[in-house]
Amino acid sequence: MNGYMGEILRVDLTHGKIMTIPTRAYEPWVGGHGMGSAIFFDLVKDKTIDGFDPANVVTIMTSPLCGTLVPAGSGRTEVQGIGVQSYPIGWFTRSNFGGRFSTMLKHAGWDGIVIEGRAEGPVWIDIRNRTVQIRNCRPLSLWGTDTWACQERIWNYVAGKGAFGDWLTLDGGGGGKTTQRPAVVAIGPAGENLSRMACLIHDAANSSGQGGFGAVWGSKNLKAISVIGTGSINVHAPKALMEARLRQTNTYAFDLDNRKGRPLSTVFDAPPRPVTLWGTPRGSKRPSEGQRPVACVGCHAGCRGRYESGLGNEAHCAGTAFYSEASSLDIQRRSSDLLNRYGVNAFEAWRGLEYLRVLNKEGVLGPGKKIDFPLTFKNFGSYEFVEQFVKMIAFRNDGHGHKSQTGADLGEGFVRAAEKWGRLEGEEGDLKTGWLNFPYWGLPNHYEPRAELEWGYGTILGDRDINEHCFNTIFWDVLISRFIGGKPRATAEETVKICTEKMIPFQGDHLMMDYGTENMYSEHMAKLVAWHRHYTRFWKQSALLCDFRWPDFINPYALDKVGSTGESEQKFFNAVTGKHFSFLDGIELGRRIWNLDQAIWTLQGRHRDMVHFADYIYQVPYGGPCFMTSRVNGAWEYVNISGRCIDKEKFEEFKTHFYHLEGWDPKTGYPSRSTLRSLNLGTVADELEKNGKLGKG
Amino acid sequence: MGNKKQAKQDGTNGKITRRSFLKLSGAAAVGMWVGNALPDVIWIDEVIAAIPASEGYLLVDTKKCQGCMSCMLACSLVHEGVENLSLARIQVIQNPFQKWPHDLTIEQCRQCVDPACVAACPVHALEANPNYGNVRMVYGERCTGCGECAAACPYTPSRSLVAADERYQNKEKAGKCDLCAKAPYHWYKKGGGPHGKQACIEVCPVKAIKFTKEIPLQEGEAGYKVNLRDEKWASLGYPMD
Repeated sequence: MNGYMGEILRVDLTHGKIMTIPTRAYEPWVGGHGMGSAIFFDLVKDKTIDGFDPANVVTIMTSPLCGTLVPAGSGRTEVQGIGVQSYPIGWFTRSNFGGRFSTMLKHAGWDGIVIEGRAEGPVWIDIRNRTVQIRNCRPLSLWGTDTWACQERIWNYVAGKGAFGDWLTLDGGGGGKTTQRPAVVAIGPAGENLSRMACLIHDAANSSGQGGFGAVWGSKNLKAISVIGTGSINVHAPKALMEARLRQTNTYAFDLDNRKGRPLSTVFDAPPRPVTLWGTPRGSKRPSEGQRPVACVGCHAGCRGRYESGLGNEAHCAGTAFYSEASSLDIQRRSSDLLNRYGVNAFEAWRGLEYLRVLNKEGVLGPGKKIDFPLTFKNFGSYEFVEQFVKMIAFRNDGHGHKSQTGADLGEGFVRAAEKWGRLEGEEGDLKTGWLNFPYWGLPNHYEPRAELEWGYGTILGDRDINEHCFNTIFWDVLISRFIGGKPRATAEETVKICTEKMIPFQGDHLMMDYGTENMYSEHMAKLVAWHRHYTRFWKQSALLCDFRWPDFINPYALDKVGSTGESEQKFFNAVTGKHFSFLDGIELGRRIWNLDQAIWTLQGRHRDMVHFADYIYQVPYGGPCFMTSRVNGAWEYVNISGRCIDKEKFEEFKTHFYHLEGWDPKTGYPSRSTLRSLNLGTVADELEKNGKLGKG
Repeated sequence: MGNKKQAKQDGTNGKITRRSFLKLSGAAAVGMWVGNALPDVIWIDEVIAAIPASEGYLLVDTKKCQGCMSCMLACSLVHEGVENLSLARIQVIQNPFQKWPHDLTIEQCRQCVDPACVAACPVHALEANPNYGNVRMVYGERCTGCGECAAACPYTPSRSLVAADERYQNKEKAGKCDLCAKAPYHWYKKGGGPHGKQACIEVCPVKAIKFTKEIPLQEGEAGYKVNLRDEKWASLGYPMD
């Protein structure tokens, strides 16, 4: 089993038991999300439990590519389980984070970790190669620490007297030496206090942000998992892997000596540069001080940074856009650190704070107002303000250590809080006006579902803000060229041709990429959404290629701008594993995993009738610019699709197209036996039938 | 990382040892001596022949490195055919909570002009290999895995490392940077060594590792930890100094 370590660690916190699962039992799912879903399906008998139920199982999975030289395919870790963030149901969901955790886990000899049960008191898990111990948090006083302090205390404990930078001999099974510190993933106070927007944090800012897994860990009394290992990851064809790596980076990656095209953040050819949005909306500002790019293990182009002041180390993307109107850049950078130290999801905090400001401006929220809220909004922009706000979420109090009902409400997430405050009722409810900009499953708006259709549809048909930038690159490329200058990396026609040619088995259907209003509910659009779900479910979330670098569609360094997707993914996969996997095999396996996930959601209670956006998406036109590919008089152009809503009835037509395409019952959205059987998921069909939820067809 | 074994080098009893001679004479002189006469010189008090200088060295830029550890993965991949950070002959060590540039260091083998590891090996399993530009190399067949080379290395972490080696029935063997001279899984048809390609250099995405034939300054770190940042790098928003 090249690329694999052979065993998955299973930890029962209720009984303090350490067990193992042979990886081979789940090898058909390859790794990451596929394995996680399959293990979850097998271990959680009652899928209707709440995310805080001790029977909830959290899987933390690697892939065969983790810890190898696959560019932007080595450093991710996939986390799954029943989440607590989404609304009205905490869906079975996923999140993943970068850094070095998955690499170190494999060096320790494990392909993943399965967490179940609830410890009696706060514990952390100490993995040193094959030696695994559940340790009480008390000796290190870990419970109550922020995520950074927690990690450093564990580092020092595991290293003992070993000096930083010297070889450390592991006292765990297998021995071996390493210069590295353990890779620790930890929760902060937000997780301990069961805040539904609590994250898992690894190193300074690698965050498993969505799903509220920080709170799930908190409910299990699990503070952190530390892993350090010294073992080898076997590679089927070392020379082929090295050759593929060099060819890929020499041909398709950013080249400082020969710069081509517009550098973007979410493409394979991105430069090694921190993706920070500090300074918005006045324009992105990089701190003018000494700094380096920082990359996950094996990545060819880091997307984070570390700085001379240490402020905002490794902070990234939404974690830097939060508190965008801070009165100084340093305050905004410190606000990024607050999120990471307290373990709070950046997007929900960001959109949530926008919402609170609207309510304050309208005079309904603030100290002594109808919604008695302890933040003094005239101090907005100061560090004191944002620190209090983040602490309110993390500690569920007034942010100064005193009891506060509205602080406690924030920990429930903004949609649940708004509901409790009576803000969702009536024709002017905040999800009807759009004041509460949370369009799907009670989760904050990321990219606009009324415009970027694959993002919006993919999210509402799934479980979370998909946060998959495959086609979103078009939005950024064209937006920048229209407002800043320069040409897009490809014409609209080139973009459509290049992308759709790679989208097997739907290749060549150009209409998949017509984002225009006439086409937005069509069978073609259903194919785009389906392909995106299948590609990401396998190649990004199971093989664990990085969302910011893959797929490689339009690439200015490549011949005719044709990127490497469809050629390279499987080349790396096969070099590591020795399998004979095709790109289409990956898409098909992604479809299988997507079907398993749909079955789990169905068992949780999902029905077609629940699959709809918040009302404002149907009622309030999107006002921002968004240029996507569409046909104008038969010719492909980048068209501004601003100003439209999603038509509620026509969206139902789209759903019918989509369910037909997936082979699900269009009346209910339930997967059918014939479809599941064709995917070798007969036992899943049996389970659905037992629960009266098997689709017809 | 500091010079942890400086004191070990000073037990001279008033004689000028090969090491202390080199230390006193300075890098420029060393270069000249190495280039001209060292192969023929014998220091009687140590009763070993002077070792010809390596014809290649790795230089690194710790302020430029992006910490991806691709160099480490490439090292174990071409040498052992596996991915293992613990087996890498070049070590990137990081603390994400520290301020730049103190958050990261790169520790590579220096191919010392005066290699303590070579001197310490009791079975002559670690020697300069004239077939590969005198790079200091471990001869696995002879190595007993005693660890004297790692213990003698004056740098932290030691640049030699001892680990179980599958090629020798999992017996403990020393490993050390050979500039990929005899890397069994080398991808390049002409191979590695001072006259070939080094995996860490080829794979580094930000060109933070460089090869040189010039003997770096032996004292301290400045000769090996250098500035590889140029205006192009600065155009990405990074400092050149």
